[in-house]
Amino acid sequence: MIQSTSHDSSAHDTHHAPPAQFTVRVLRQDVPGGSSYWERHTVKRENDMNVISVLQRIAANAETADGEKTTPVAWDCNCLEEVCGACTMVVNGKVRQACSALVDKLLVDNPEEIELRPMTKFPVVRDLMVSRARLFRALQKVKAWIPVDGYYDMGSGPRVSAESQEQAYPLSQCMSCGCCLEACPQYTKIELKQEEGETAEAFQARQKEAYDRGFVGAHAISQVMLFNKHPTGAMNAGERLDALTAEGGIQACGNAQNCVAVCPKEIPLTTSIGRAGRATTVHVIKKFFDR
Amino acid sequence: MQGPRIISVEANSASFFSRNEFLIRRLHSLTGLVPVGAYMCIHLITNASTLGGAPMFQKNVDLIHSLGPALPIVEWSFIFLPLIFHAVVGVAIIRSGNPNLSSYHYVGNVRYVLQRATAWIALAFIAWHVFHMHGWFHNEWWLENVANEDLGGHRFDPKHAASTAALALEAPIRKLAYFIGVVSCVFHFANGLWTMGITWGVWTTAAAQKRANWICGAVGIVMTVVGLSALVGVAKTDVVAAQAYEDTKLQMKQEEEQRVAAENKRLSSLTAEERLAERKAREANH
Repeated sequence: MIQSTSHDSSAHDTHHAPPAQFTVRVLRQDVPGGSSYWERHTVKRENDMNVISVLQRIAANAETADGEKTTPVAWDCNCLEEVCGACTMVVNGKVRQACSALVDKLLVDNPEEIELRPMTKFPVVRDLMVSRARLFRALQKVKAWIPVDGYYDMGSGPRVSAESQEQAYPLSQCMSCGCCLEACPQYTKIELKQEEGETAEAFQARQKEAYDRGFVGAHAISQVMLFNKHPTGAMNAGERLDALTAEGGIQACGNAQNCVAVCPKEIPLTTSIGRAGRATTVHVIKKFFDR
Repeated sequence: MQGPRIISVEANSASFFSRNEFLIRRLHSLTGLVPVGAYMCIHLITNASTLGGAPMFQKNVDLIHSLGPALPIVEWSFIFLPLIFHAVVGVAIIRSGNPNLSSYHYVGNVRYVLQRATAWIALAFIAWHVFHMHGWFHNEWWLENVANEDLGGHRFDPKHAASTAALALEAPIRKLAYFIGVVSCVFHFANGLWTMGITWGVWTTAAAQKRANWICGAVGIVMTVVGLSALVGVAKTDVVAAQAYEDTKLQMKQEEEQRVAAENKRLSSLTAEERLAERKAREANH
């Protein structure tokens, strides 16, 4: 372990020296659907630690704060630069990415302890790993893509105005991390259990139906606005709006606006919700009078 | 070895509510503004006219009651049914959410919780208020045995508007209940107006939502002032003087009705020739 002896840049703004070590409280769960329990770990502070490196130290140590042998804490991560969304978890009560949760900043709020929990709106796979299948199912439900009907060259597409690009770019930054859903009071957990003897296909079909009946969430609503704005994507605008007015659609939004407050990519989710509100209003009125 | 048992996916068993969720939620949003919210504003403005004294309030109440037998139809179609619909769907909406204010202390989240808290207060307050003033049903047996003085129901008499309203709110505990009820209803209305604008897509961007917030806030403040003026107006009413005025007015009205009835009776007893002669005499006089 490298201990930097030069100027300490990470302990900014604080008059107190950072602690030599700190406790990490992890909410663990051994199996899907199982009961959860708290486990405490002691970690030596190093410069420029993030929550991922803390979890690496815990895995290397494999001992609880009381010195008992334990299994490594499981977690998901991938890019380590806050663009993939895989390491999303609840750090000190707030949902965020573990990779961009810097330890020295967390220790300013509470110098003794860091609390790690899995996201509460998704089924836990193990420890801090959750299944975000419902999040991706919502993107399927609203057709968050632009269909191509072949792989041959179709020539250049329609021109997109600079103004339209500026509106679309922030929405395209969504990394499907699930922060907006975790903080949403209207997005409630759906966790099904595979029945004994139930085939994987039957279980998945049951799960898909349950997910489709639940709230789609801010991320999917925002993606509808992104793809409906695109000149080629706009060809399927009606289908996406149909999905947003189906059960669990935009109407389930309660306007608490937590989504936009917690979004790590600062995507204007509530603007998307307002725009989707307007688009669905016009869409259903048109549908009613045009049929 | 036991083969896998196939559990079929439930065929489209969606309830009426879930199949029409979008329409029902939009109707819930709409009824909050018209007619329920709009009615509340008219109601509070009418009540604030108690500040202008018993005669002014009586005049406004008489104007409403001039609808006569049509009044219950108007009340049920424009007030009670939309209000019951808004309340029933609203309870279902509240039950569908899971507040997380303890983790996320954002202003929007506080307002989300307050909107639901004031909904419960408004529901309890309006149910009690309609019982307290009108006794819920105008059935004679009900008014005598249930909505009577012991239970504090049916305290308002439209023919003695100011005096009965003042007597009904005489106890400080009732004034406090009305204060909490009115402020909750007005908050629910003003905050609901703002969220409604997002729901229907009237204000979309963050800047537009901020501007709309000022407007809805102003509506809320104005309606709070109007609502509290009504409470002050009722509190300042001199019950004895108001009652004297209302009785005199009622007596005058009865005398006028008796005079008109007597005249009609006299005219109907005359023959066609006599009536013609009378009219000619009247024209000659002018």
